[in-house]
Amino acid sequence: MSGGGPTRKRNFKIEAFKHRVELDPKYAERTWKVLEHAIHEIYNHNASGLSFEELYRSAYNMVLHKYGEKLYDGLQNTMTSRLKEISKSIETAQGGLFLEELNARWMDHNKALQMIRDILMYMDRTYVPTAHRTPVHELGLNLWRDHIIHSPMIHSRLLDTLLDLIDRERMGEVINRGLMRSITKMLMDLGPAVYQDDFEKPFLEVSASFYSGESQEFIECCDCGNYLKKAERRLNEEMERVSHYLDAGSEAKITSVVEKEMIANHMHRLVHMENSGLVNMLVDDKYEDLGRMYALFRRVLDGLSTIRDVMTSYLRETGKQLVTDPERLKDPVEFVQRLLNEKDKHDKIISVAFGNDKTFQNALNSSFEFFINLNNRSPEFISLYVDDKLRKGLKGATEEDVEVILDKVMMLFRYLQEKDVFEKYYKQHLAKRLLSGKTVSDDAERSMIVKLKTECGYQFTSKLEGMFTDMKTSQDTMQDFYAKKSEELGDGPTLDVHILTTGSWPTQPSPPCNLPTEILTVCEKFRSYYLGTHNGRRLTWQTNMGTADIKATFGKGQKHELNVSTYQMCVLMLFNNADGLTYKDIERDTEIPASDLKRCLQSLACVKGKNVLRKEPMSKDISEDDTFYFNDKFTSKLVKVKIGTVVAQKESEPEKQETRQRVEEDRKPQIEAAIVRIMKSRRVLDHNSIVAEVTKQLQARFLPNPVVIKKRIESLIEREFLERDKVDRKLYRYLA
Amino acid sequence: MYTPPTTSTRGRVRLNVGGRVFETTAATLAAAGRDTMLGAMVDASWNSGVHDDPAPAEYFIDRDPSCFAVLLDLLRTGDLHVPPGLPEATLYREALYYGLLDRVRSARLGGFDPDRLRLASSVHGRSPGDGVAIRAAPDGGCCVSHGGASGVVRVYNWMLQERRPVYYPSHAPVNDAAYLDASTLLLAARERPGRRDDDGGVSSFSALTGETRHRFRVAHDRQPRSFTATALAFDGGCDVFASCKGRINEYGVAVWDCNTGEQTGFFYEPPGCALGEADRLQWLDGTNTLMVATMFPRTDSSFVSLLDFRDKSVVWSWSDVGTPASLEDKHAVDAVATEDGRSVCLVNQYDDLGFLDLRKNAASSGGVRWRSRSKLATMSGGKTKTKKAACGEETCYPKLAAHGGRLFASTGDAISVFSGPDHVMTSTLRCSNGGAICDFSIGGDRLFALHGEENVFDVWETPPPPII
Repeated sequence: MSGGGPTRKRNFKIEAFKHRVELDPKYAERTWKVLEHAIHEIYNHNASGLSFEELYRSAYNMVLHKYGEKLYDGLQNTMTSRLKEISKSIETAQGGLFLEELNARWMDHNKALQMIRDILMYMDRTYVPTAHRTPVHELGLNLWRDHIIHSPMIHSRLLDTLLDLIDRERMGEVINRGLMRSITKMLMDLGPAVYQDDFEKPFLEVSASFYSGESQEFIECCDCGNYLKKAERRLNEEMERVSHYLDAGSEAKITSVVEKEMIANHMHRLVHMENSGLVNMLVDDKYEDLGRMYALFRRVLDGLSTIRDVMTSYLRETGKQLVTDPERLKDPVEFVQRLLNEKDKHDKIISVAFGNDKTFQNALNSSFEFFINLNNRSPEFISLYVDDKLRKGLKGATEEDVEVILDKVMMLFRYLQEKDVFEKYYKQHLAKRLLSGKTVSDDAERSMIVKLKTECGYQFTSKLEGMFTDMKTSQDTMQDFYAKKSEELGDGPTLDVHILTTGSWPTQPSPPCNLPTEILTVCEKFRSYYLGTHNGRRLTWQTNMGTADIKATFGKGQKHELNVSTYQMCVLMLFNNADGLTYKDIERDTEIPASDLKRCLQSLACVKGKNVLRKEPMSKDISEDDTFYFNDKFTSKLVKVKIGTVVAQKESEPEKQETRQRVEEDRKPQIEAAIVRIMKSRRVLDHNSIVAEVTKQLQARFLPNPVVIKKRIESLIEREFLERDKVDRKLYRYLA
Repeated sequence: MYTPPTTSTRGRVRLNVGGRVFETTAATLAAAGRDTMLGAMVDASWNSGVHDDPAPAEYFIDRDPSCFAVLLDLLRTGDLHVPPGLPEATLYREALYYGLLDRVRSARLGGFDPDRLRLASSVHGRSPGDGVAIRAAPDGGCCVSHGGASGVVRVYNWMLQERRPVYYPSHAPVNDAAYLDASTLLLAARERPGRRDDDGGVSSFSALTGETRHRFRVAHDRQPRSFTATALAFDGGCDVFASCKGRINEYGVAVWDCNTGEQTGFFYEPPGCALGEADRLQWLDGTNTLMVATMFPRTDSSFVSLLDFRDKSVVWSWSDVGTPASLEDKHAVDAVATEDGRSVCLVNQYDDLGFLDLRKNAASSGGVRWRSRSKLATMSGGKTKTKKAACGEETCYPKLAAHGGRLFASTGDAISVFSGPDHVMTSTLRCSNGGAICDFSIGGDRLFALHGEENVFDVWETPPPPII
């Protein structure tokens, strides 16, 4: 039996075995020889001659007869000696064949180990756990680790070869990734610790120094965009490398090495790089580069905040220039349009390049809020922009376009701190639009009101809505008036009255002028009709706000229809009875306030193409000694001639002051109301807390000035709403 | 598992087992797995060159054919059917040879169903002292700790074959036992006065060989101290807890890492809260807390506390100190937290069940909600009393367990099973010989009940489900 080769001699062996099972003292030795021989044959790829059942039974018998230890030790020695031979053959492999040989031997060893485990399965199940030995498979791996991987001739050579191959791949060479995959998998199979200690750790160190050098080189010679491209490519390469032939657990480690060396270490230099840094990218709309910067910087600590800080300071700086440049202040529409363009530009950058990152949106918003409020005319300008759009700008635009524009305006509106100032202006502008019938689209007007309402609440828009209601009721009233009184009126001038509720409209009380008698009769009729239908009301004529269409016949018999203001109408009507009138005459007859009269005459006599009056002496400005004549020679290609009033679209300086003052006046009761509301619920509060609370309550409308709040508190104390605490003078008490 | 035979002989295997010929398919054998003898035998690596052979592969196996028939049937159908006359021990031995013992075990046990338990066997022990505690192993084995001065713990594998007993070093009396896994047993022992320092404490042992694995030592102020351990718990991860009583009043709960045996913490007993002499420790997974129950008659009053070791705090506690005089003769004698972690179930010496709500503060919740006894419980209680009278001083207080959503309570010589949210009694397990049940344990798909006399324990199993 000891001479039994790989040929099948099953029956013979079994018989011999049965006879000797109990008695032969050399039984264990013989059985072991059989198994040892089998192990060698398995390593020699000669297993086809072996009988599994027989070997299994032999191993079983050895364990059963308490030779488990002998079997286990024998296995360990045999495997060790085989592995030592294998180690020699791997060592002698030349150059590139080294890894191939190692891998081939590893495959062989694995296969052999599996078969050895098969035949020693019974030992694995019974002897190994009770004797606290290492299971066969693990033993095979441990021996491979100790005698092959940790063999002094192989250990460093393996590491150097792997690192060298990776380095060559980084330099652009093509390497055998399949082989690399097998080798790293082998290291993982031997235990994560083997992979980490014998490969991963040195790999990360070498990578760090490689990328530290490379990034230094890149940053010296590349602009920011190119550098980022290279960094991104390197990062992708490393991730690809991990997916191809490293353990998945290495990905986070190697990418963090690349991130640190290529991005984190050069972050500030990249962002501030001259001519190609972040600011240049923002100016030139380099979406691709910005997107890349965002994607790379978000990987490192403080990366995004670095971008954000630079972006914010850039936005504030450019925004500040935009709103304080005196050149730009000349055209409010252009001013607002620039703000909108700026916002659009950065919105697009954030959505295209920065993945709609909320923190960036917030930074953008806070920057706009910062610089829009640097200019205290912003509310006026924004309202003027809306006015411009609603007057004419929206002609031909679809409903969606209108919505888009209004939404954008609302966005700017949200940044405003002094929303009540905006409201003031908006009211004025809206009144002008409504009274002059110049609004383009009622829907657009209403849509804007709805937006303001959702933004600021009912209170904010109630007066604006009242204006619309007045317009509607006026229309109905006029229809009714003419339906009932048409016979009575006969052939006189047609009257169109807008009945404006006091308080809803930004009317300045001005004394009525003397209307021509024709008009006055109709007006009186209307007054009696209106007061007849509505009890307890008072009508005041706002002659400063009306318009009139009058027909005039000029020298050569040509007829024109003149579209003029009420004041202008009054002036022109005087010329029905006289050819020439002095300024004093006109002022006396019409009683129009001097400043309005001057403007009115200027528009009638000094505008080229519209000069229905002639002034003597000829000059640009009106003086009190001027005389005016009916201009017989007036000609115009148009039948209808619109004679505008010379009025600055923008407010003049005193007007501005006035609006400002009115806004301040309006704020007082609001501040007082807020103080009383707060004190009513708190009873006792110190000064600073009141200021903070009031500011919080009112910030949706405006930013109250602490000095003003203090004055209001003093006023309330005077009126005995509040009192100062007797002991602590900083405390206020509410007096019920 | 079983692939239908095809007309071709390919894939067919002929086995000559001890002279009897079996034919089956390689697939049936391979389904046993590569880590079994039959699976490896038909694996490709052992059959190179056989592929072209049109005849069925033939193997000779020098083993008993009748057992092989049972095991082949198991591989084919997944069911274990042992014909009468075939000794189980022989079958287990053969199954071990083929590497199929685990399959036999899972076919034999498995699917623990508290409503369909049948008495599978009664095992008689040979120890001089009566058993005091029984613990089920995760694989279906068990261990029985014996009182007296022997300090011996009898260990049985899932085939109920006795292994080498475990002796606590220097034969210290064992108070409690717990399985860390099927092959590691943890024991808590009492320190005996006058002995050398290294007497009681906690140790882990190999359940296979009885060898000591680790001594779990306790140090106070970096000074190792000897101690008595009364109860044990294991959190299923790596922490081992024991209720410890030191010589100079170091009372509390110690924590060790079960892999290294290193002490990782000690929860000193705060005033008004008994921790160092607990009867039962139970780890509550849901809340990451440890329940410590110290019961009458070990102490004059009963205490239940929940400890959070992450911030070393007592998150909940209850005690019956100061209960009105009318109830003074009734004491909680065992406690178990229900599996949902919402309440603690108590039982008193008259077999009444009571509940404590863990979600409410014990003081504000009005204490224990005792349930009036059901009829059946009264009956069995009555029986116990007669037994007690017959056997003189011998008494067995009721014990509790929670498993699979049920509550189990031993009352006299029977174990009652309570189901549902209202804990209605749904079945009673009783085996007449052996006297009152002094301890029971559920695990490894079995219920083990240890009787207080005659050194016998019962094994309850769920029989295989009906065919249809």
